[in-house]
Amino acid sequence: MSELDPRIHQVLDGELPLERLPPELQATVLRLERAAGLLRAAPAPGSVTGPVLAALRRPRGSRGRRLFRWLTGRHAVTIAMRPVWSLAVAAVLAAVVLVPTHGAGPLLGAQEGIAQFVGHFPGARSVDVVGPFTDWRSGVIPLRDDNDDGVWSAVVVLPAGAHEYMFVVDGERWIADPLAGRYVSDGFGRQNALLIVRPAGR
Amino acid sequence: MSGFADVRPPDAEVIARILAGDSDAFGILVRRHEAGLLRFATRMLGSADAAADAVAEGLIRAYRHLATLDDPARFRTWVYRIVANRCKSHLGRRSAQGVSLEEAGPVPDPHDGEAELERAEQLALVERALTTLSAEKREAFLLKHVEGLSYEEMAAITGERIPTLKMRVHRAREALLEALKEHR
Repeated sequence: MSELDPRIHQVLDGELPLERLPPELQATVLRLERAAGLLRAAPAPGSVTGPVLAALRRPRGSRGRRLFRWLTGRHAVTIAMRPVWSLAVAAVLAAVVLVPTHGAGPLLGAQEGIAQFVGHFPGARSVDVVGPFTDWRSGVIPLRDDNDDGVWSAVVVLPAGAHEYMFVVDGERWIADPLAGRYVSDGFGRQNALLIVRPAGR
Repeated sequence: MSGFADVRPPDAEVIARILAGDSDAFGILVRRHEAGLLRFATRMLGSADAAADAVAEGLIRAYRHLATLDDPARFRTWVYRIVANRCKSHLGRRSAQGVSLEEAGPVPDPHDGEAELERAEQLALVERALTTLSAEKREAFLLKHVEGLSYEEMAAITGERIPTLKMRVHRAREALLEALKEHR
């Protein structure tokens, strides 16, 4: 890709008048402005006013009812803590689950297990794990790097089974966990990492 | 339109009405901003349907969190940020940085005039070139040159620093020109 004369950028950024450029550079500026103008002038497709207002008018139910729905629905539950503590907690939970008990039930549901996500992303400002369990939205399960060593981690409780996931670094770079070991095609030519969560009750 | 003063109430005034209980006033904000948001989301996602979903979700989210908006005068940049994030999630779900041209632009009607047809062809060319840019560059170019936002506003939307955005816009211009040459 060839770099443009910096004066072209200055004109487009409003830092230099167009007339100060030689004609051949002016032509490049006008070409870019015309391209943007075409995109600007194209009519926006459709309208969302109706569906948005209809959705907002639909009763959402009382706060208590929404809380009940949230509590009874399936969600990933985030436990954010220092990696060393997360390992300790995982060990304790594993001990509780693995050591036979007499009558006492496990801490987790029979169909839930503990998943630890760890990734090395030096210099990252934020790292999230996303998957079907977050509806592929970032911001639901943030990883933490409390000692700024570039190692980001989170421990979460997930339903037992196979979970596809990706890391989202700085809110925009989607990365399949290089340490996952298992991957599945996402159907678009790339791969998602795959995690198998075993039921804690077994 | 020229010659008439803009008598539309500013966003902050509309938001004050909504927060005071006049929820229907949100329709004013939706109608005011949806064209730009849909234009932006359609170019980002390459699909009018996906764009409509992203914008509708973004606007509903904005309504539900309106009380948390620190500066109501900045509603426009705030709602762009929400919709831009919805677009990123959507692109991530598809795990494809590129967008298809499937629904990116209207097909010219042969009954249109010659000038209109030529314009439609040029638009299709620019749209095709735009799809070759990475999502980051596409976003930067669209916000700067199509939505006409300042670098400060872009920083508020994307969470990036201004020098980073400037560099991204520069690279986007170069990539777009290159792609336009190839698609000519």
